[in-house]
Amino acid sequence: MKRIFLNLKIALGSLGNFKLRTALATLGVVFGTFSLVVVGNLSDSLALKTEQEIANLGNNLIIVVSGQVRRHGPSTPLISRATNLTPGDAEAIANNLPAAARAAPSGFKAFPVRRGNTVLKAIAVNGVTPDFGEVRNFEIAAGTPITEEDNRLQRKVALIGSATAEKLFGEENPIGKTILIWRVPCQIIGVMAEKGADIAGNDQDNQIFVPLKTFLRNFVNQENVNIIYVQAVSVEAIEPLRKEIEALLRVRHGIRKEMKDDFTVLDLKEVTALKSQAMGLISVLGRIAAAASFLIGALGILSIMILIVNERRVEIGIRRAVGSRKRDIILQFLLESSFISVSGGIIGMAAGFLMSLAIAKVLGYPATVSVPGLLLAFAASALSGIVAGIYPSFKATQIHPVDIIRS
Amino acid sequence: MTPLCLMEDVRKTFRMGDDAVEVLKGIDLEIVPGEFAAIMGTSGSGKSTLMNLIGCLDVPTSGRYLLAGREVLGLQDDDLSVLRNAHIGFVFQSFYLLPYATVLENVLLPTLYREKTVAHTEERAVELLRLIGLEARMRFRPNRLSGGEQQRVAICRALMNDPELLLADEPTGQLDSKTAAEIMNLLAKMNERGKTVIVVTHDPAIAACAKRIIRIKDGVIVDEQAA
Ligand SMILES: Nc1ncnc2c1ncn2[C@@H]1O[C@H](COP(=O)(O)OP(=O)(O)O)[C@@H](O)[C@H]1O
Ligand SMILES: [Mg+2]
Repeated sequence: MKRIFLNLKIALGSLGNFKLRTALATLGVVFGTFSLVVVGNLSDSLALKTEQEIANLGNNLIIVVSGQVRRHGPSTPLISRATNLTPGDAEAIANNLPAAARAAPSGFKAFPVRRGNTVLKAIAVNGVTPDFGEVRNFEIAAGTPITEEDNRLQRKVALIGSATAEKLFGEENPIGKTILIWRVPCQIIGVMAEKGADIAGNDQDNQIFVPLKTFLRNFVNQENVNIIYVQAVSVEAIEPLRKEIEALLRVRHGIRKEMKDDFTVLDLKEVTALKSQAMGLISVLGRIAAAASFLIGALGILSIMILIVNERRVEIGIRRAVGSRKRDIILQFLLESSFISVSGGIIGMAAGFLMSLAIAKVLGYPATVSVPGLLLAFAASALSGIVAGIYPSFKATQIHPVDIIRS
Repeated sequence: MTPLCLMEDVRKTFRMGDDAVEVLKGIDLEIVPGEFAAIMGTSGSGKSTLMNLIGCLDVPTSGRYLLAGREVLGLQDDDLSVLRNAHIGFVFQSFYLLPYATVLENVLLPTLYREKTVAHTEERAVELLRLIGLEARMRFRPNRLSGGEQQRVAICRALMNDPELLLADEPTGQLDSKTAAEIMNLLAKMNERGKTVIVVTHDPAIAACAKRIIRIKDGVIVDEQAA
């Protein structure tokens, strides 16, 4: 132990002669660990973020959308329209399928909203049933929820998102006040708790909820809904329930065997797949960049080690004279080269750590530390140091004390 | 008494490309424990080459060499290292202290390669430095010491593993005569304490400090005398 310490001290003393060169030589390793740590931390952040987003959408959630949508990524562009998804379908799912705990039909459309002189041009207005909050994990911060009665009597009441409340009322208490949604005056009965952006990046705090029947009658004048949110009784029930819903809706919609569905059951895993794919690509590119950096780093350290060994020929000769064996010399210089590269690696890890924190902050991702990423970075920097040290330390063993004494 | 060093018809040939130069041409030499010998000769006569063989820094091309009863010829490089570490201390003309280590660390250098760890290593190093009067400067870098002081530190380093044999190749070559005398006194003192000391020199005044003078010329021992 003492020996390692003393040897490192001597090594540092000699490295002091080549400060700039040593710094340059380690740059490759610095960049290598930097990119490994950034990539590791960020992909963990993204995975965590996706998990949170899915949980945020609702527990054990299945989404049935009217019409055919392309099932790729967070956006779900419509391929074909349909107008036959109804609240009755939702009831049938909830009542006939034991695996479905609840089914919340919902329609939505953007309308201008006005209060006094304040006009908001297009706010998403959602027609919802009392089950909606439970199924979609929406909570009310103040006021009362939409009740069965509100829905049955088509009451003109509204729950508003926290951002909408802020825009319309500022510091004022909105509850009990009336706002004009499109041309329907509605009384505000509650304000939603903050929820942030959804998986597609839409602000979920800037919207309005009204009873579904009010929405269908007074706002869109139609019988069908855009979407049915179904809550499965458990995670395991999700997959079988999807199939049951499909079969049930095909029967209810009278779709014959050879015909396509006029609805789409979305899988949330598919929704997040594109994001993960993009991150996967970035990870691969990052790792390739890291590998290239380590290669350059190893070459840099190789050159500095050759320099060091040459500079310390006398030291090596005298060590051999006082009894160091070849393997002691090899060990010494391997230690030195890995010390140099690990030092650079630690700097890169620290920088990568800070960088990933900053990126996560900017993207609004949860900050995570990928321990495997850190270990990989450490191991890679140690390894490139060892590999770079092999040739120079072998060269060092070729130095013979007799040659030193003669010159 | 069994000799510490026993050489019989030792030859050393150096190859330089196609040429082979025989530098030592049949050396017979016996050094018994406790001796203080000087190897004398003109420059190029083969003194250092002989010294390197005695010190196991190099091996003879032919002949027999027993160090403390052990045959040296045929030993592996690692075995020679272990042998040097335990049995031989070197002092060179240019002191060869490590510039980035302190005086104390330089003295400790041979202990880094000891086969067995020994207790109180550092105390012993400090003790040696006290003996030569440099204890106060043990935390200095060698470049802050004078030549004579550096050579004394080198002697401490040579003594650190308590070897039987102390080899000094022109130890005073870079020193003025007063300092040279001090160094020779120190070596004589070590001899009195039981070390076998061999000094290589071309300087008769230095050789005169030894109890035995071995003259070498063109690779052969030409004359032996007790001083
Ligand atoms: N490694 C070597 N290769 C070639 N020639 C050598 C080598 N070592 C010593 N010599 C030659 O051997 C002769 C004796 O050298 P050396 O033992 O150093 O003499 P001294 O120490 O008596 O001055 C010199 O001519 C020297 O050039
Ligand atoms: Mg010489």
